[in-house]
Amino acid sequence: MNRRTAIQQLFIIAGGMMIASSCSSDRNKASIELANIDVSAEEEDVLGNVVEAIIPKTDSPGARELNLHLFVLKMVDDCHGPEDQKRFLDGLKNAKSQKGKTTSEIQEYLKNLPADDSFLSLVKKRTIQGYLNSEYVMKNKLIYELVPARYNGALKIEA
Amino acid sequence: MANLNIDSEKNRTYDAIVVGSGISGGWAAKELCEKGLKTLVLERGRDVQHIKDYPTTNLYPWQFEHRNEMPYKIQQENPIVNRCYAFHEDAAHFFVKDTEHPYVQEKPFDWIRGYQVGGKSLLWARQTQRWSDFDFDGPARDNFAVDWPIRYADLKPWYDYVERFAGIAGDKDGLPELPDGEFLPGYPLNIVEKYFKQKMETKYPSRKVISARCAHLSKPNQIHLDQGRVQCQNRTLCQRGCPFGGYFSSNASTLPWAAKTGNMTLRPDSVVHSVLYDEQKGKAVGVRVIDRNTKEEIDFYAKIIFVNAAALNTNLILLNSKSSRFPNGLGNDSETLGKYVAFHNYSARIYGEYEGYKDYKTDGRNPAGGGYIPRFRNLHKQETDYLRGYAAGFSAWRSSNSDQSGLGTDLKESLLNPKLQNWGVGSHMMGETIPKESNSVALDQSKKDEWGIPQLKISVDYDDNDAKMKKDYLDTMEEMFTEAGFTNISRNESSQAPGLDIHEMGGVRMGLDPKTSVLNKWNQMHACKNVFVTDGAAMTSTSTQNPSLTYMAFAARTVDYAVSELQKGNI
Repeated sequence: MNRRTAIQQLFIIAGGMMIASSCSSDRNKASIELANIDVSAEEEDVLGNVVEAIIPKTDSPGARELNLHLFVLKMVDDCHGPEDQKRFLDGLKNAKSQKGKTTSEIQEYLKNLPADDSFLSLVKKRTIQGYLNSEYVMKNKLIYELVPARYNGALKIEA
Repeated sequence: MANLNIDSEKNRTYDAIVVGSGISGGWAAKELCEKGLKTLVLERGRDVQHIKDYPTTNLYPWQFEHRNEMPYKIQQENPIVNRCYAFHEDAAHFFVKDTEHPYVQEKPFDWIRGYQVGGKSLLWARQTQRWSDFDFDGPARDNFAVDWPIRYADLKPWYDYVERFAGIAGDKDGLPELPDGEFLPGYPLNIVEKYFKQKMETKYPSRKVISARCAHLSKPNQIHLDQGRVQCQNRTLCQRGCPFGGYFSSNASTLPWAAKTGNMTLRPDSVVHSVLYDEQKGKAVGVRVIDRNTKEEIDFYAKIIFVNAAALNTNLILLNSKSSRFPNGLGNDSETLGKYVAFHNYSARIYGEYEGYKDYKTDGRNPAGGGYIPRFRNLHKQETDYLRGYAAGFSAWRSSNSDQSGLGTDLKESLLNPKLQNWGVGSHMMGETIPKESNSVALDQSKKDEWGIPQLKISVDYDDNDAKMKKDYLDTMEEMFTEAGFTNISRNESSQAPGLDIHEMGGVRMGLDPKTSVLNKWNQMHACKNVFVTDGAAMTSTSTQNPSLTYMAFAARTVDYAVSELQKGNI
């Protein structure tokens, strides 16, 4: 077996970070390894459409293409406590009503959620974080410098 | 030792032993090795070699599994270290986890530790301000602790010496309270920091705002290049370990230098149990080590012993070094061992905004972190209803934010076009605390660690003096921020426990009188002349300045003395 292919099968790139893909052969389960939350393939797909509604494809990639729905799953799984996880899963179940809907229909759905909806605020916060810290944005849009090699404490901004 | 024989003992005998490989142990090792002594350096943690063992150093933000955030489970399991500002995915492997090395908190104390070769020198904030006679005179003038047995003049040549090698960036500011040194070029204050400086120095001539002095190679000299270090590249990712050696650490600087002499034996995974005292010889003869992995007990021998295990662990080792001569810990005739522990009060900050200089921003990053305000309170005479005073950090920054309220293409457009905000400004206090007998550490009577060593029981708290000083800092800084025209000023009183400042000091204090101190003016035990302590444990008082540079100077000075005493046959 080609080693490179093998590695590609084991990891999925989400916003630039490699996430271990699920070992499960169950096609009804999420595509990445999750330790704490149980997410179905269908829910993962719906989440992909939700993050795409938050940051859609324009002349540059949207959230789904950057696999930010997988990033959101990973963060909810590892970086949130049980209460947040429950609210997320409840919200995701409700969002299944948006299966097969267009991006603009899903945007309407999200806009009609209560202002303090915890599912939306969590998914939006993590999608924005994943987007701004994605390899794509940090290399092409808002450039992150690992080695600035300079400091100027008074740079005049050209009008 | 069951199978002890002469050959084996010879193989475990050195001229000198240094316990600990952090900032002060690294310096002791370098100096001893350069003077030709066969030196064993014992480190309780794993080996960390410069560059090779900095696994995260070149990672981009998107390459961290959780974008540098610590997972929920780790945060829940490690509430103490999780409170440390640098405990994130990029450096978590250099911090001791709460669960790995428990200790007993009689009062809340956040003990932040780095158990590996290099210790916390990989993680430190790299601020390097000299102490002055306003600090060394403090206890005598203000009648607390005991008089320091040295003054600035004793330490000055050693500050010069360690600064030249370590590489300290700073400006010559001509302030007696913060003596100038052998500096590489300082990092400039930014335009708003400069504005604040000018505004303050006009209104309050005694309140100086200077460029913070830091252990970064702003412009390396040959001696730094010879160490394999090059110019700091302004990454400000120091806690990961620096592949350029841009900041000073034992790993990048003193330890490889010591190794190059051929005189150093570095033994990681060596948990020091105690210093061995020989009743007949009337001096220490070695140390007892428990191997971290195998739990095997091994004794090592040497003529002189430097205990540089970091302040509280140095206390622990000495308290655990019991003999008929010293039933309550090595060198503890004064019964002060473990007492008069102090720290820095970092529990207040203040923030604001500045609406001026909107046509300027910064570019790149400043490793010095910005400005430093040396202590001005009670400097020349007592002025307030509390003793001593505080130094303060001051920095200004200009960040960009985007409106994140929308959804869809509007949100995306907004995220990709962040808008410059007003300048942000902030300051944090660094208060001197008064060492007291009641602020102490001791061996727990029943709890032991994995290596059979008693756990440390810590009983350290703030006092009324700290509370008054904190209020004065906030009132004074608020007044200064207001005077400078800053807006949206917010006072931030942290309820953080002592320890989170990571400047714990004392317990094995220096002093003139063996009846009230453990160490003499040479960081040498009054009662056991071949044992030396040059880390934070030796500090008689805390000053307001960051202490690491002073530990370096003490370590170099003490080795010079110890080796000359050894050569004279006095120890």
